[in-house]
Amino acid sequence: MRMSLAQRVLLTWLFTLLFLIMLVLKLDEKAPWSWFLIFIPVWIFDTILLVMLIVKMAGRCKSGFDPRHGSHNIKKKAWYLIAMLLKLAFCLTLCAKLEQFTTMNLSYVFIPLWALLAGALTELGYNVFFVRD
Amino acid sequence: MLFSLRELVQWLGFTTFEIFLHLLALLVFSVLLALHMDGLAPGLSWWNVFVTFFAVDGLSTFVSLCLFQDGEKRLAVLHLFWVLTVLSLKFVFEMLLCQKLVEQTRELWFGQITSPVFILLQLHLIRAFQVN
Repeated sequence: MRMSLAQRVLLTWLFTLLFLIMLVLKLDEKAPWSWFLIFIPVWIFDTILLVMLIVKMAGRCKSGFDPRHGSHNIKKKAWYLIAMLLKLAFCLTLCAKLEQFTTMNLSYVFIPLWALLAGALTELGYNVFFVRD
Repeated sequence: MLFSLRELVQWLGFTTFEIFLHLLALLVFSVLLALHMDGLAPGLSWWNVFVTFFAVDGLSTFVSLCLFQDGEKRLAVLHLFWVLTVLSLKFVFEMLLCQKLVEQTRELWFGQITSPVFILLQLHLIRAFQVN
């Protein structure tokens, strides 16, 4: 069953709104919580996305699935999985840095984000400059 | 992943090229931010760090104005109005955030700084229901 655009936007909107409210409370020193708690909406949203992605990928293992029709699709799904893991790695290292669990430079914290953005830009750039409707 | 590129273009109201530009600006901004915070570029001020965002906002406005001449008049005006609203709210947020980081004043709360983002969120929700 596929969710409609409005349902998917509502899901994204809800978690973004919750995260923003918690972030503002923390930055204005109204909530003395740990950064890992502030990121709870992000963890929940990422978990939902990961489960959805894994379920879709597991659907390929069902009997009767023709692999000839999905070689491009599985590559895309694999990239999405890597992108999700990169985002998760970035958020985790950022929280660890903000909580001062580590003294590493911010440049190292940003490495997963840069990899994610480079991948997204490559995919988007291909669509902009090479794909013609 | 959750949205296809076509859905994103419809929902956000930006062209694929503009989304590409905004992502590129985010990448350059994050590099400059890391350099600034790690003290690897001593001459880099907060305004310099944010300059990529300001530049891409201007460029995106220019692209939208160029595209305005194409297509049906009423739709073009509505599209331009939407894009300019989004870009101006984004610009106000970036300006306020940059000012807060430069001056480190306690008078300007993060609640006030992020208010354009909250407005943007509501606008995007309404637009999603329209597009749907």
